[in-house]
Amino acid sequence: MERLNAKHVLITGASRGLGRQLALDFSREGAAALALCARNRDSLRVLEREIDEIAPDTNVIVIEADMSRPVDIERLFAVALSEFHGRLDVLINNASALGPAPIPFLLDYPLEDFQTVLNTNLVGPYLAIRESLPAMFERGGSIINVTSDAGIVGYAGWGAYGISKFGLEGLSQTWAAELAETQVRVNWVDPGSMNTAMHRAAEPDEDPEQWADPADVTEVFIYLASDESKGVTGRRFEAQKFSSERAENHHVSGA
Amino acid sequence: MSRVLEFSLPEGLNAKEPPELRGSRRRDGVRLLVLNRRTGRVIHSLFDRICDFLVPGDLLVFNASRTLPALLVGRRESDKSRVELRLASHLSDDSWLALIRNALCEDCPVRGETNSVINFDLGLSARLESPHKEIPGMWKVRFSASGSALVDLIYRLGEPVRYRYVSRPWRLNYYQTVYAREPGSAEMPSAGRAFTWETFLRLRKKGIETAYTTLHTGLSSYLDDELDRRHPGFEEEYDIGERAASKIRVACSTGRRVIAVGTTVVRALESAAQADGIVSAGHRYTGLRITPDTALRVTDGILTGLHEPAASHLELLSAFISPALLREAYIDAVRLRYLWHEFGDLNLII
Repeated sequence: MERLNAKHVLITGASRGLGRQLALDFSREGAAALALCARNRDSLRVLEREIDEIAPDTNVIVIEADMSRPVDIERLFAVALSEFHGRLDVLINNASALGPAPIPFLLDYPLEDFQTVLNTNLVGPYLAIRESLPAMFERGGSIINVTSDAGIVGYAGWGAYGISKFGLEGLSQTWAAELAETQVRVNWVDPGSMNTAMHRAAEPDEDPEQWADPADVTEVFIYLASDESKGVTGRRFEAQKFSSERAENHHVSGA
Repeated sequence: MSRVLEFSLPEGLNAKEPPELRGSRRRDGVRLLVLNRRTGRVIHSLFDRICDFLVPGDLLVFNASRTLPALLVGRRESDKSRVELRLASHLSDDSWLALIRNALCEDCPVRGETNSVINFDLGLSARLESPHKEIPGMWKVRFSASGSALVDLIYRLGEPVRYRYVSRPWRLNYYQTVYAREPGSAEMPSAGRAFTWETFLRLRKKGIETAYTTLHTGLSSYLDDELDRRHPGFEEEYDIGERAASKIRVACSTGRRVIAVGTTVVRALESAAQADGIVSAGHRYTGLRITPDTALRVTDGILTGLHEPAASHLELLSAFISPALLREAYIDAVRLRYLWHEFGDLNLII
């Protein structure tokens, strides 16, 4: 525990699903400050109160922002860096837009929705990384992008979402290469199938019970945000596999 | 102001737009006038060759303050007239200094009254507490929000301060350096605007060190020519962290050059220097005015923009180089059609 002691962290898409769980688990791990961003301020406020009960020493700031809008991203970082006095150690690009659900085939995909999904899932993380670098360039930092297996395999019916995640994989690799000589680390995580509102909307005919709970996939994020992963950059992680291996190692070493 | 610092600046030499929109398509696509502070020798170069003029061990000190969209338009509660409020400085009691003008007429001052209120959108308001003694139209104001909540509202409501020589409104991100962190400046600390991440990586490869301070810059103009010539100053907030202070102390004690990126950095470092020249970390306010008579205790060189005739910044530069040599270099810059102001060319004095 307390693996994130003194860390200043910004999480996008924090109001629900994986982002919400990351905020809770990061506060349990002793994060000094959390900037939580989403479009829905009310949900963020509820989360803020919850964290206050779990970890009263964690400084939490909630910021309403739409990651498809560059002016919102600019404001998000201005507010967070104002609150954190210029410090930021960890950025988690978690916010994702699914687009229309159920997802239409590409032939039927509305252009406006296509552009919104790419703006949120690809341009948004690009801008967020740019905005976070000034705070990380000198002290070092960890950037974690949330990807998907739809970003390495072109599945029929995953539309702009999958295409945006292909882009995010490339974005992550390119940032990691360009920042290789700095102390800013860039890694990307595929959380796998999770029982979240977004996934249920994407695959309404599937049984959500078969999918992992967001709480089961946060271990790799804690690892990448902490100093334990110092020097690790440019790598793709599968969250559920990572959690299983950790649990197994723990079991073996504890036996 | 000494007469030697007066020169004629043709209208056409005002940089009207960011360099990345001028043709080079690059932030670092500006010219660099390198001036030897002892001999006055001038080299005309390009900014992307700045590494050629620095040596391993040099320490470049930057101002990482982020520019606010510091121009807000609201309505006076008393008569509902539209007024423009230009934030100038955040004060230690959490109030602000702000220049208040008629929103429809930049040159028309507004008669403010103590305790009167200006209302903005999104529920923000500002109460006028007291007028500045020397600057007409400048008031100490207190907003209905503070801290990061106020920053959020300023970003939603404001736009960058812009002067007449800039051709049209540009987005706020054109008024940021790539390394800007904590918001608080009324205007961009523009001497570092040309730096790109690529430049930083090249500096690092060459063994040139970097350090970051924060000095939230105030307004460069009070929209009054006579007042601007005198430019009465006010205290500005600055912060030097232990990491930066330590780098500066080590550079000074080992005889390496400390080069300020911008006049704001000179003011912050020289303000923080104790009598023995040692810079201490801290969050403070300074009203230090640097003149040709100021003995610089920390800074050995400066990277800066080109400044208007009789601007107070030229006084500061004259602490680095004799006014006569500076004037010769400026006349040369005019002849060779260098560009002035925040989107213009740069001048390295070492």
